[in-house]
Amino acid sequence: MLEVSGLRKMFGTKIDPRRLINGTLSFLALAAIIALFFAYRSAPHLVPRKIPVSIRHLPYYAFCSFYRMLAAYIIALVFSIVYGMAAARGGLYERILIPAIDIAQSVPVVGFFPAAVYFFVALAHGSRLGVEMAAVFLIFTSQAWNMALGVYEAVKTIPDDSREAIETFGGRGWLKFRRLLLPASIPKLVYNSILSWVAGWYFLIACEIITAGPATYRLPGLGSFLWQASEKGRNFDLAAGLLTLLAIIVLMDMIVWQPLSTWAEKFKYEFAASSGAVQSLGMFDALSGVGPAVTRTLRSILLPPMRLIATSLNALPRGPELSPEQSKRLGAIVRNLIIVTILIFTTWALARGLVALIKTLAQPWPSDAKQIPEAIVLSTIRMTIAYAISLAWTVPCALAASENPRFNRILSPIAEIVGSMPATALFPIIVAAFIEFTGGMNVASIVLILTGMQWYLLFNLLAGINQVPEDLKEAARAFGLSRVARWRKLILPAVTPSLITGSITAWGGGWNALILSEYFVYNDQTHQVLGIGALLDAATYSKSGNGVMILLSLLSMIAVVLLLNRLMWRPLYNLATERYRLDY
Amino acid sequence: MAFLELKNISKSFAHAKGMLQVLNDINFNVEEGEFVAIVGPSGCGKSTLLRIINGIVPMTSGQVLYRGRQVDGINLECALVFQSFALLPWLSVKANVELGLEAQGLPPAEREKRAGIYIDKVGLDGFEEAYPRELSGGMKQRVGFARALAVEPKVLMLDEPFSALDALPAITLREELLDMWQSPDMPVKNILHVTHIIEEAIELADRIIVMAAGPGRIVKDLKVELPRPRDRRTDAFNALTDKVFSLIEERG
Repeated sequence: MLEVSGLRKMFGTKIDPRRLINGTLSFLALAAIIALFFAYRSAPHLVPRKIPVSIRHLPYYAFCSFYRMLAAYIIALVFSIVYGMAAARGGLYERILIPAIDIAQSVPVVGFFPAAVYFFVALAHGSRLGVEMAAVFLIFTSQAWNMALGVYEAVKTIPDDSREAIETFGGRGWLKFRRLLLPASIPKLVYNSILSWVAGWYFLIACEIITAGPATYRLPGLGSFLWQASEKGRNFDLAAGLLTLLAIIVLMDMIVWQPLSTWAEKFKYEFAASSGAVQSLGMFDALSGVGPAVTRTLRSILLPPMRLIATSLNALPRGPELSPEQSKRLGAIVRNLIIVTILIFTTWALARGLVALIKTLAQPWPSDAKQIPEAIVLSTIRMTIAYAISLAWTVPCALAASENPRFNRILSPIAEIVGSMPATALFPIIVAAFIEFTGGMNVASIVLILTGMQWYLLFNLLAGINQVPEDLKEAARAFGLSRVARWRKLILPAVTPSLITGSITAWGGGWNALILSEYFVYNDQTHQVLGIGALLDAATYSKSGNGVMILLSLLSMIAVVLLLNRLMWRPLYNLATERYRLDY
Repeated sequence: MAFLELKNISKSFAHAKGMLQVLNDINFNVEEGEFVAIVGPSGCGKSTLLRIINGIVPMTSGQVLYRGRQVDGINLECALVFQSFALLPWLSVKANVELGLEAQGLPPAEREKRAGIYIDKVGLDGFEEAYPRELSGGMKQRVGFARALAVEPKVLMLDEPFSALDALPAITLREELLDMWQSPDMPVKNILHVTHIIEEAIELADRIIVMAAGPGRIVKDLKVELPRPRDRRTDAFNALTDKVFSLIEERG
């Protein structure tokens, strides 16, 4: 698919020294920030407890997990709107905010553990509130980045004419936000919200069982329930927990996501609107009316008090009228104040973090550290095998979907639901099965990585397939192209950008799954393979809690992810969008 | 003192390979009551010129004087109609027309009344709750006109308003534009009409400014003194068309 000249262009370019320096500096900054939280290591006094595993508690646990996901999602939503729109303003904002989020995306969720624990738990003096906040924060990190990038993309691609139409009538600030920027972001926000919840459910287990050194905090919730059930080998409870999760996901899909997706169509520009009707699961249409009904009730409840607040605010005596020049200057002062505060805080954090980084790394390195290079290579090999397997089944699936519209319509919601199921909860069963048959954690680990990779690939491929314009397909048919020729000449090239985007996301999900898949305890037995995930886990979850090892393995993993992104995925993506973009 | 004065307007854009000059030393005045057409090939900067006068694009050098004074920022007495209609797809016809009024701070009741009047004037009575994707091209441009007229501007700026329409709706809208221009109760004092269709300019305008490209500059400023309504099939009309065409050809 990629021509030789393209490959040559990619590898033949000289490395730009400026980009090298930028990359090193940003990596250092990231390392400093991670190390920052190690500086606050203390032993918060919280008795690690086991939560009762019994079906009676399931509804309560489900509710707990759901409200944690919801809280994290709302914070992520607000964050992504503010962050994305700030970055879309361009200039310096863009140049700082976008690379920052790029880096944040490469950090596996486990990488935020130190931050979560040492900051939130210590902040709340070891109380339950601190642990809850830590869990919400962790879920937030698995949700926020792709939503913020979605908002950024959406605002940047607003057609010039729409902008000018608002500007020419003097619309700016709040009006511009309400009438243009926010509505334009809604399609991407809805789509990315669905993905974010998928990611959140997948990592729920990791987020509800937080470990720092000798202490483990388990929060009552679906995640910890599932994990404990599988740890103890209580398969019936495990199944019950999984069914509960499945029920929540399916209900959310019908009541929230399907109606939202339909509503979001209203905000798409005509050239972007999907040509077919949005798929719905037929007989569940009645239930999908619940969502809009809920919003209507909410609105009728909230509107009167809000109107009351608005009128009373209007009734207040107006302050001195500012001339446009004065108000512009005031706005600039406020904005500069905020920026300066953020700058001061960031500089302090970076400095403190650098100090902590140096101090931690100056300690004697544990002997395990020698294994890191080999571990990285082995992990990367496992990732590549899992990726190859994912490609092997998702591409034919997508091609089949492009041929058969009915298959396409059935595939998407199924993929969404199955993809949201946290395979992490099934890990123990999968591990047990493969250990019996092939006598190696290696295969089990690859299978587990697969579960974190393949769905992203499939979703993106399906999205790409659905965007191939009808008239190109008609032209192919009219010229009598055979099916294979059609795939080779039209479909595959057209979905290449989506394939690359999907691959980037898939590898991101894969790295996260890798960490969970290379090491765990089941039935009081430790199963592991040599890999960077295993090293990280062993260091994190071991009783001694070796800080240096955690930091070293974490940083080396992030370095590998970043390098792969910069040297391989980015150039591939640029190549793909240059050659294969549907723009005519 | 002329209604609108353009003095030495130049505009350059930063480009990957340096600066690209789109407009070079544009000078002309517009008196109150004139219907001015700006005609030229694509790339001569005529659309950019319109946006500079409006204020949404800053000029690199030069001055725009509106009624003798320099306007800081957006000139709210000018309203723009776009070639691509530029309607917000998530707003109904009514909400789209009210957009300009909302930006200028009119209270909701007022907005609704004003919008209603102008939706009626462009012949879309009954379509207030329709969405842009349900409308034809001609209807969408009517909404564009209603939106511009609703703010009751002194200068109406048209950026290739009929170029994206089929021939038949374009003919109808041209006639209606002329009717509106000639009716006595129009707050609009001037129309600046950018187009690449020579016949359209001659049919509608009192004055034609002919531009050439590379970089954009004014070639000729002609008066059109044919009596309205103008028939495309007359000799005078054709002579004028040929004249403008040759002006563009030889300098373009």
